[in-house]
Amino acid sequence: MIELHSVSKHFDGAAAVENFSLRIEAGALFVLIGPSGSGKSTVLRMINAMIEADQGKIELRGQDIRSLDPVQLRRGVGYVIQSVGLFPHWTIRENIAAVPRLLGWSDAKVSARIDEIVELLQIESSLLQRFPRQLSGGQQQRIGVARALAADPDIILMDEPFAALDPLSRAILQEELRSLHARSGKTIVFVTHDMDEALRLATNMAVMNKGRLVQSGAREEILLHPANDFVRDFFGREAMQLRLLDIVPVRARMKRRWVGAIETIAAGASLKQALNLMLARRCARLRVEDESGARLGEIDIADIVAGGHES
Amino acid sequence: MTPIVHNRVLLALCLVGALAALYGEFLNSAPNRLAGSVALPLWQAPLLEAAAAMAGLGALTVLAFAAQVKLRSYATLLVAVLVLWASLSGAGHFATLLSSASPPAARYSLGATFWTLVAVALLAMLDAVQRMKLALALRVGLVAALCFGFVLMAQAGRFADLSLAKEFSSHRAIFFSELGRHLALVGAAIFFALCMGVPLTALVLRKAKACGVVFASLGIVQTIPSIALFGVLIAPLSALSRDLPFLRDLGVGGTGPAPAIIALTLYSLLPLVRSFYTGLAEVAEDVKDAAIGMGFGARNLFFAVELPLGLPALLSGLRVATIQAIGLAAVAALIGAGGLGAFVFQGVGEYALDLVLVGAIPIILLALAADFIFQMLIASARRRI
Repeated sequence: MIELHSVSKHFDGAAAVENFSLRIEAGALFVLIGPSGSGKSTVLRMINAMIEADQGKIELRGQDIRSLDPVQLRRGVGYVIQSVGLFPHWTIRENIAAVPRLLGWSDAKVSARIDEIVELLQIESSLLQRFPRQLSGGQQQRIGVARALAADPDIILMDEPFAALDPLSRAILQEELRSLHARSGKTIVFVTHDMDEALRLATNMAVMNKGRLVQSGAREEILLHPANDFVRDFFGREAMQLRLLDIVPVRARMKRRWVGAIETIAAGASLKQALNLMLARRCARLRVEDESGARLGEIDIADIVAGGHES
Repeated sequence: MTPIVHNRVLLALCLVGALAALYGEFLNSAPNRLAGSVALPLWQAPLLEAAAAMAGLGALTVLAFAAQVKLRSYATLLVAVLVLWASLSGAGHFATLLSSASPPAARYSLGATFWTLVAVALLAMLDAVQRMKLALALRVGLVAALCFGFVLMAQAGRFADLSLAKEFSSHRAIFFSELGRHLALVGAAIFFALCMGVPLTALVLRKAKACGVVFASLGIVQTIPSIALFGVLIAPLSALSRDLPFLRDLGVGGTGPAPAIIALTLYSLLPLVRSFYTGLAEVAEDVKDAAIGMGFGARNLFFAVELPLGLPALLSGLRVATIQAIGLAAVAALIGAGGLGAFVFQGVGEYALDLVLVGAIPIILLALAADFIFQMLIASARRRI
């Protein structure tokens, strides 16, 4: 879907990205993570040709991006940035309609599409006639996402889109992005330096440092088998086990046995939620049920602890 | 209970007005255009207008102590209009009365008291309009009503015996052609400055190195005194017109409109390019980044994003350049370019102060009108951001 082959980029002689290769499959929610200055934004901006690579090749849907007109390419790829960048002199409706207008859609088609987007992202329709400055930061970024989705691109690039938001808005938008991704099957490339955000969203991720790829793969794999000390440190050595609890479902550790537990937890809940419930109810054992309420088995504190990994 | 001053500006204006009314001359009377004059104070003017002016000043003084802004401002507007009418009508009436009893060569020119009262009335109005935050449309209406009233009084021959009006009517035929020339000089200079300023702005926006050179050279041009620049242009332009007949046929010469337009264009470039540059450079980086990332090409980016967002700054540059050109074009009369400045210099040469005013007052009014129009355009451009 998106492939980078030995891509390098230098700014004023300093390497921003060095010999970087990566393959992002269609339908992934791919998180590029790394500390500030690690080159992740540069990689993102090379994918939509806003920065031209010095060396190497980037393929988008099987085509070398050098063979494409950059302006046309960008109209087919959604783009969301941290500072949103809504047009202050356009209404929210006009902002969302920006790319469809560039593509020359008819009024009727644009209007129908805006109705869909408003429904999809649960935007209050009263906001559409307002101007960006009349919206809160969270509302603005929701519009930023809507604007990127407007022309229904199959690829969306997001550069730390939620980093400037308050924790509550951030959590809501993260959850919406995850469900949006699950429903739409779009390919999303998401840049962040926030490990919790990465783990919450990613299907796959790549860790970058100093312009180089350190490790890439499924998020559990990276958590369970960090390639080196940098990844271990970046994930927070001490907290790594706790982070794992957040992404492993109860289903993976429960046992089919019936000792007799009173409190109940869903099989799809995370181990962290299970542990939280145990602590809250002061019990060491939970009964596990599926969505229909059928009893699947039990999980106790020892099951959770036994699943720990050496690090 | 001690009264509280709620509008210091108004009180100060009234004090100035009262001093001028007591110690200044309302009209100057001279037996002919060149002879020395005798001062005539306000209290010798026709009773109705003199009393109205003094009563108006008194009322404004009282209003300075009124607490309620809205009410005070409306009352101030009304009373200021009264003072304005009393000064204008009083001067005209006074001159008519005096001239009926003296030889036709006698001249009655406006004195310091008159000008001070008019200034006090206009400033009091301006202050009131700003304090009450009068809507734009109403401001336009107010200005139009004042102009209309003035024209009505002039049509009725109220000012016919004032020397300023006599100078104006004896130069009426060339007044409008010089006014047209003045506007043409300014228009041509702004047009050529735009033709050069737009590509120059594009250059400084793209090439950071060019930025310093361009602004430094425009800055140097700006520091050359206008008379010097006009003078410097005479020699090369005479040579050009001598050697290239087609330029001579176009009317280009060492004197006349050609050097004037060139100099005015050069002076207009700095305010234009500087404001265009800041206007476009200060369009938020993130907005431009988002637009480019969404697939806005260079032209779409400019017309949909940069131009509308930079418009207030662009217009304020155009405003500065226009007002500056209106003023500098007056000096161009010295090198034979014509325009309203011609009256000013002719008047200075003939020691006829009223002829100077025939040129100077319209120049001031033109500059104020240009300012007013651009302020409105800027306000409406800003409302969309």
